[in-house]
Amino acid sequence: MADRKEWEPKIVAFCCNWCSYGGADTAGMGRFQQPASVRVVRVMCSGRIDPLHVFNAFLEGADAVLVTGCHLGDCHYVNGNYKTEVRYQFLEELMIEMGLEPERLHLSWISASEGEKFASFVNKVTTEVKKLGPSPLKPEGVN
Amino acid sequence: MNVNVGDKLLGYATDPGIRNRGASGGLVTAVLAAALERELVEDVIVLKHINEYEAVPIITDDVDEVLASTGSMHTVPVNLAKHATGKKVAMPGKPCDVRGVIEQAKRNEIDIENTYIIGLNCGGTMHPVLTKEMLINMYELDPEDVVGEKIDKGKLFFKTQDGEEKGISIDDLEEAGYGRRESCRYCDVKIPVNADIACGNWGVVGELAGKATFCEVMNEKGVRLLENAIESGYIQVEQAGEKEIAIREKVNSAMLGLVDKWTEKIFTDIPLQERMKYYMEQFADCIDCGACKEACPACTCKEESKCTMYHNLADDYKMSMYHMVRLLHLSDSCVGCGQCSDVCPVDIPVTTIFRRFADPAQKKHNYKAGMTLERPPFLEVMLK
Repeated sequence: MADRKEWEPKIVAFCCNWCSYGGADTAGMGRFQQPASVRVVRVMCSGRIDPLHVFNAFLEGADAVLVTGCHLGDCHYVNGNYKTEVRYQFLEELMIEMGLEPERLHLSWISASEGEKFASFVNKVTTEVKKLGPSPLKPEGVN
Repeated sequence: MNVNVGDKLLGYATDPGIRNRGASGGLVTAVLAAALERELVEDVIVLKHINEYEAVPIITDDVDEVLASTGSMHTVPVNLAKHATGKKVAMPGKPCDVRGVIEQAKRNEIDIENTYIIGLNCGGTMHPVLTKEMLINMYELDPEDVVGEKIDKGKLFFKTQDGEEKGISIDDLEEAGYGRRESCRYCDVKIPVNADIACGNWGVVGELAGKATFCEVMNEKGVRLLENAIESGYIQVEQAGEKEIAIREKVNSAMLGLVDKWTEKIFTDIPLQERMKYYMEQFADCIDCGACKEACPACTCKEESKCTMYHNLADDYKMSMYHMVRLLHLSDSCVGCGQCSDVCPVDIPVTTIFRRFADPAQKKHNYKAGMTLERPPFLEVMLK
């Protein structure tokens, strides 16, 4: 139990260049407290996030993956995030069928001005994942 | 005689040689030969007979070779879809071959306008090796003695050299672990309505039984194919009666009735806690031969593909990245043909695992892979 308390989950957040990456930036500028568990991967559009990127993150040792992008209708590339939505829904079902807890995958639309939303989202997921413990797909030797 | 889209016809080859050699009147062979002879197509894909349990797909422009082809064989579960890429061909095909062709066409690998597909009704195919085993254990026949097989009224018959015929009901065979391949048992497309013409012996009764083929014209290309064969004098057709159409429907619904039973039996629910372990154990056997990728009729990637490029044994992941990428990439286009399970040297039930993921996803989008060109793959292209 002693180890468990010190264990900090590793969370990979895919952020789109135009909205949610800006949101993460705003969260920092606004000095919102957030845990150091998140690793941000910037992509040009959330539509670029292939389900395989998400799965690769899990296999590399991520405990949770966040898929974030512009609000529906606000996509810089017109309809990229609608494609993200379809793929995300498929991934969600796949996680359950695979036996991976669905709480380990989250989708959120965050605009560049919503720093607080980004921070609270990260906080919420971190607490959830801490309760779940390390992912069963984590390779040996990775914390 | 004029042929129209939607026509349901009974037809047979006019040449007595072709008619007697073919399984049901030699209509399909004759249509293929006519298409080749009158240059509707450049090549024809047919199966070349090796023995009772083996045949290889060949692409030929020789009419004689088409006429010498094997006709339908239940023990040759090949998929012809990938053989049709980049050519002007006519080909016969089970529903899963046709679905493969359409998936290839969606990815611009096949020019569908120049590919003529003659669909064949299919209740299922069998493994050649398992069939031989079945002949010894269930039929008590020497596999070398067998000269013919047929399926009639739910029974599978084998004929030996001395003219002896023995039949056992397919249900009994399947209970004993033989019979149709697993993917055929839960396949829910028995009549290839996605082909240009849908042929088969279902619905041929009375004096024509075994001597004619029931065929439904599905589209304009089907009209061209049939009219070409009629004009060149290769085949003769007549309108099918209501009785024949009703019987065909009855056979089809009887076949589909079995699907639900098998779906339930094969896709047993794995408890939530054990799922991860189950998939890890299944994929752990993989020896990275890549045969499932080569055999897949929906896959159009060449040498450089996501599934192999993201896969590196040195990563030592808990689950094979190769299989995960294939699963994520093909869930929207898996036709459930069973080729991947067939070719797997370590017997991973790849098809069954793929269907566990692909079925709910495709159902949710009301999408059936390989049925129509109008629906692009939903994970790749946004649906309106």
